[in-house]
Amino acid sequence: MKNISIKILAFMALAISSNVSAASFTGTITKPNGSPAYGAMVTVFSANGETRETVYTQENGSYAIRTPYSGRLKVRARLASFKDATTNQDTSVSGRTNLDLTLSTFASLESANFAMSASAFNARLPWKDVARDRPAFVSQCNYCHQMGNNYTRLPFSHKEWVAEIDKMEGILAMASVRDKANIADVLTRAFNGEPIQAVQNYGASPELARAKVREWLVGDGYTFIHDADIAKDQLLYGTDEGHDILWVLNRDTGKIDQYPLPDIELPRGGLFSGMKLPIGQFTGKHGPHSLAQTSDGRIWITNALSSTLMSFDPISKQFKTYQVGHDSLYPHTIRVDKNDIVWFTIVASNQIARFDPKTEEMKVMYLPSNGFIRWVSDRIFPTLMRIGSWFPNQAVHLNLSTHKYFGQNILAFPYGIDVNPNDGSIWYAKLYASRIGRIDPVTMKIKEWKTPMLGPRRPRFDANGIFWIPAFDDGGLMRFDPQSERFETFKIPAIGEGEYETPYALNVNRTTVQVWMAANNSDRVLRFDPTSKTFFSYPSPTQVTVLRDFTFTEDGQVCSSSSNMPAAAIEDGRPSFICIEPEGGATDRAALGG
Amino acid sequence: MSSTRPKSAKIHAIVLAIGGLLTGYFGLSANGYLVPAVMLFILAALLWTAKAMNFFKYATLINLLSGLLLVLVLAFGDSLGARKLDVSGVALLTNLFTGGPILSLAALGILTGLRKGKPLALWFDKSNAKSA
Repeated sequence: MKNISIKILAFMALAISSNVSAASFTGTITKPNGSPAYGAMVTVFSANGETRETVYTQENGSYAIRTPYSGRLKVRARLASFKDATTNQDTSVSGRTNLDLTLSTFASLESANFAMSASAFNARLPWKDVARDRPAFVSQCNYCHQMGNNYTRLPFSHKEWVAEIDKMEGILAMASVRDKANIADVLTRAFNGEPIQAVQNYGASPELARAKVREWLVGDGYTFIHDADIAKDQLLYGTDEGHDILWVLNRDTGKIDQYPLPDIELPRGGLFSGMKLPIGQFTGKHGPHSLAQTSDGRIWITNALSSTLMSFDPISKQFKTYQVGHDSLYPHTIRVDKNDIVWFTIVASNQIARFDPKTEEMKVMYLPSNGFIRWVSDRIFPTLMRIGSWFPNQAVHLNLSTHKYFGQNILAFPYGIDVNPNDGSIWYAKLYASRIGRIDPVTMKIKEWKTPMLGPRRPRFDANGIFWIPAFDDGGLMRFDPQSERFETFKIPAIGEGEYETPYALNVNRTTVQVWMAANNSDRVLRFDPTSKTFFSYPSPTQVTVLRDFTFTEDGQVCSSSSNMPAAAIEDGRPSFICIEPEGGATDRAALGG
Repeated sequence: MSSTRPKSAKIHAIVLAIGGLLTGYFGLSANGYLVPAVMLFILAALLWTAKAMNFFKYATLINLLSGLLLVLVLAFGDSLGARKLDVSGVALLTNLFTGGPILSLAALGILTGLRKGKPLALWFDKSNAKSA
């Protein structure tokens, strides 16, 4: 009883102290003509700039936001097509500040262009034949990062663009020689320093005005947090593929811990040491990629570069490494089934692995090759990579890769994976072969379906056993019912004329049955409501937002990691953890009497 | 010399030359394939002109063996552990330096024809005799 009383007192003291140091803002955001700015983002930065919180304005332009920050804080209002309004407020005296801000117009088209998302620019690339030429660009240039943002929209010569694409090829881009010349030609002509005329509208909504976004900066300009996942302890874990670090964020305190992965007897770049390691980005040997947790609390990590599986014990902070297979290349997305069996895709060698943490038995199996050329690649590609490793950092093995002629079609690329909650079957998506497949967890029998949209990437099941699949190459969302074996497709709405979207991953909140998905071409997150079949858009407060996987907290937040490659291209020059609280803005408004 | 050239020499030389063209075409994109393409042309020329039988024979034999080793190691080589891909890598490079997979497909027929008393062996022998 005494203990409980002490805890209650301690909690109250903490609550009072956090109230004292918390800064709140209310006010109205208006456009230059005085009309209310609907859907504008109001962001409050912490005093050291390491974290920030954002809410969206209502139809009347009003906002209300509570933050845990104190001191002199930067507050910024942002809305597409307008210049940011920024001010610094000293909040050390008063906890609550009324602050109205007015957006302004841009002084020039050039400065307006700097505020636009990449989608405005890559929508205007002068392809001779969009249907024929653009797919390779979407598939191979938009896969890892945005193309067309301020960092990549450079007035390069044709020769310089070819060198740039060569560099990308050295890190696993698979453009054919023909595609490469074509893309270099188009980028040379398009990114010539001349400004463009474009109008972008992120689509304000009452739902948007109810939301709140939190961001925590992590690492440095070459930190590459590929995936983030909420564990049972409600901490947000992030795998830094660039630096071989596991980052752990406590969302309540904002404290970020880092745990370096143990060393391994491999050169820098791991099994991919023959490749041209990108601009200093991959400084590690493991390349931790994706993560999932078993019921015993251990977190399982796929190490893409070392082709190993690794466990991390959140209590003892100890790692343990398991070999996957001698000719397995790039373990990728990982999930755990209801029997605590760990499943993961192996993209570059077209395999699926099954690992039993109790017996530590690893089974690796090939997936159907989907054609003779892919069959040859499945078998030979690991050998080519080994040959490349004999000539470190030179990518000489690419001179023997048939992708130079066939492009990305030489690989099937099994990418995302998930477990059907109805029958425990394992489902995967093949990004390049545009197929989904089902594996019977007992017989291991495989059945595949061609997808109606191209580029199925990281799919997930909802609670009813419906398979939701983002179609990266076609800018869409697919719904697949395993019972009827029928697809339904939805085109993602763009924010400007001629623009397209690149949905990397999605996840379905099994309580609210809402599909949350990345829209990496236009700096936003989408929510799809399956009942009304409507997309809701949540613009990111930060320019150059590329999100990979989504995870949900117990209190209904959806979190991810901002992981454009390189992070130096992101507005802050660093990556971040990001969480959206769908009702956070409404809660703040209610608390502040707004 | 052409009047005595056996049909199997013509067929195999043409197959190797076409293989060289195909491999060379790939080599225009992935220039590593220019090596087996050149080798195929050399072997086609040697067979057509019946020159350097030992070089021709051993290059073909090494090509076939390295191709076989590559397939066997990839299919059943897990017991080699971490060395599996080293062995398959050496086998692949050896195979490519000696003419590549197209020669491997034709090698058995060529080597059969090169046995003592067979048309290809006689073709090389006659040519050697003439030049002597």
